Amino acid sequence: MDKSDIKSRVEKVTALVLKVDPKEITPTANFAFDLGADSMQSIELIAAYEEEFNISMDEQKAREVQTVEGAVEFIAGYLK
Amino acid sequence: MSDSTAITPKDLEHVFYPKSVAVLGTNRVVGTVPHDIFANILKDNFQGIVYPVSPKERAVAGVRAYKYVLDIPDPVDLAILVFPSTVCHLALEQCGQKGVKSAVIISAGFREIGPAGIKREEEIKEIAKKYNISFIGPNCLGVINTDPLSRLNASFARKMPQEGSIAFLSQSGALCTAVLDYAQAKHIGFSKFVSFGNKASINEIDLIRYLKNDPKTKVILVYLEEITDGAGLMSIAREIISETGKPILILKSGRTREGAAAAASHTGSLAGSDEVCDAAFKQAGIIRCTTIEEMFNSAIALAYQPVPQGNRVAIITNAGGPGVLATDATVAQHLQLAKFSDETTEIYKKSLPATANIKNPVDVIGDARADRYKVALGSALADPGVDGVFVILTPQSMTDIENIAQEVCTTIGKYNKPGYASFMGEQDVAAGINILQQRSIPHYILPESMCKAYASALFFREHRDQTAELQTEFAGIDKQKAETVIQNALSAGRKYLPEEESDLVLKAFGLPMLPSDLARSKDEAVRMAEGIGFPVVMKIVSDDIVHKFDVKGVLVDIRSAQAAGEAYETILRNIATAKPGAKIKGILVQRMVTRGEEVILGVKRDPSFGVVIMFGLGGLFVEVFKDVSFRVAPVGPRAAGEMIREIRAYSMLAGARGKKPRDIRSVEECIQRLSMLALQLPEIKELDINPLIVSDEGGGCYVADARIML
Repeated sequence: MDKSDIKSRVEKVTALVLKVDPKEITPTANFAFDLGADSMQSIELIAAYEEEFNISMDEQKAREVQTVEGAVEFIAGYLK
Repeated sequence: MSDSTAITPKDLEHVFYPKSVAVLGTNRVVGTVPHDIFANILKDNFQGIVYPVSPKERAVAGVRAYKYVLDIPDPVDLAILVFPSTVCHLALEQCGQKGVKSAVIISAGFREIGPAGIKREEEIKEIAKKYNISFIGPNCLGVINTDPLSRLNASFARKMPQEGSIAFLSQSGALCTAVLDYAQAKHIGFSKFVSFGNKASINEIDLIRYLKNDPKTKVILVYLEEITDGAGLMSIAREIISETGKPILILKSGRTREGAAAAASHTGSLAGSDEVCDAAFKQAGIIRCTTIEEMFNSAIALAYQPVPQGNRVAIITNAGGPGVLATDATVAQHLQLAKFSDETTEIYKKSLPATANIKNPVDVIGDARADRYKVALGSALADPGVDGVFVILTPQSMTDIENIAQEVCTTIGKYNKPGYASFMGEQDVAAGINILQQRSIPHYILPESMCKAYASALFFREHRDQTAELQTEFAGIDKQKAETVIQNALSAGRKYLPEEESDLVLKAFGLPMLPSDLARSKDEAVRMAEGIGFPVVMKIVSDDIVHKFDVKGVLVDIRSAQAAGEAYETILRNIATAKPGAKIKGILVQRMVTRGEEVILGVKRDPSFGVVIMFGLGGLFVEVFKDVSFRVAPVGPRAAGEMIREIRAYSMLAGARGKKPRDIRSVEECIQRLSMLALQLPEIKELDINPLIVSDEGGGCYVADARIML
């Protein structure tokens, strides 16, 4: 799966879970600061990414990811 | 530790009286901190403008929200940050760009959680420094200002407290909510209420300094878990107490003795952080409290009533037993039962029943109603021999509790003397207590608490009226000589000064030393002993031996030339057995003082408060009973005298059981000289003079042994 595919699916899932306009989801957007994710939604996001990509992520490390582009890179690491 | 000098009361004006507030990170989820803080500001009728800043909400509580603080078209005086800690730096950076100069960072997840949190806290401190932002927190409950000009409840407390004259500052946020609940039940109002959390920027000293000129605040209460700048705290406390007459009460938790165990000297091991804190607070006039209840007991006394002018109290009661309890408590707090004037006694004779006790404590008898309380209370307050009045009531079938409560309030209000009340019981007296509390008469369930509160108020008055003491400057001090001794030791890599070098340092600062000399042979020892005069003490001198008694390196009461020669050889034999290989410099021959009381003096450097001076009686008193007193340097004549008088065994020096009083004035001078020495020689880490032998009055005192650690 190439990066642009991962990116578009991350954006789709993010918009769905955080209930934000997809236009707001820029690569540098910070989940909490720019998209308003609270701690519960952060956990929901991790679960949604795992389901979307059929992967199992290290939750501790996943929580440290703060931006959309960071999430794309992090997920890409699992899909190699 | 924050750089508190950089924060001025003017900076805090925006925290308490902002014209506009932005809540960054708020949301619409009722019952969460981000939502409730914004809702509280709205609900409690804030007098300025409030802006919600929320990344994805269009409005919060019906108020149009902004995605970023930078989007707000108008200036923002105060930012309240409720974002997760991981993004607070981003929010604060935008605050800086917006020109916001004050913030309250509510979010947790900083220093209190460990290394990752410490890094985050450093990051926000850097941003704050870059943009010159002062902030409260992080990890706090928030800020409340009840002043009608502001009415700011920027906190997640359940309720805004009522307006009052007490300011409460707390390092613990959770405690704040409990205190608000406690205070509400007792009708206690607040002027300012601040949870300052990790105090990464604004600390307790900055806040206390602000409150100095806050016209709404009469009494300042502080809950502290750690003191980062003890000397600064003492300084601001002294300034406020003397200049404005506002009392400061501090509840300092964590009464531990950490750090004391590793100390090398008596002073070091006795002067734990808590003992030093006790002494420093007392010196600065700060009332130290041990519980929240005790703190508020004293606070209401100071906030509601005039400060007592003396310790003579009258007790008015309708029952004998509680009167006796109150009398015992009065005496236990070093207060006196006032002696009534003839006029007062006459009034009591005429107005009270024949069965009433008209002497202090005045028993107005169980069937007393409001009129009898009025006469007893009013006459006592009018009596020039009475400084304050305690009113006690027990609920008996004839007792007209509510009317008596009203009368007590009215009568006390007519006089410029303190009147406190104890309506004993719970259910039956509840309505009366409610009246007292609503009319600002300090009420206590137990007479003991009432007496303690009075004693605290009296302690405050005494310190308020004292002038600040400076270090006594003695003439003839040879500081250079002392420094040379210390520098030579440090150059040789030594961290300990042996007795003869310690003597030189002490002598250079005018401490009274016993005549002594260092003998390097038996003949020299005999000659020196004869020159000094018998009896003498002989002591081993070696850099390798710190505890001379442990190796039998000290012999006392040597009364002849022959004994001096033998003692010289005995000591060398003892050392050869107990400490073979020790490099011996010689044997110190010193005059022995046969009559006198042994006391100990010491110096320690406390990381927070600075130089600490210790005093105590020697021997068992210090070893077992730890009967010692402390003061933070500089120690002037008044503090030196207090140090001596406050130990439990003071009567041993003052002349107990027909013994002659000892020369206390000479000890006072030694304490002051030691304070001067410790302040001028910062290389000295710890110092013990043990013992200082104090002769009878007029006979002076002498340093018999001393130990200095560098």
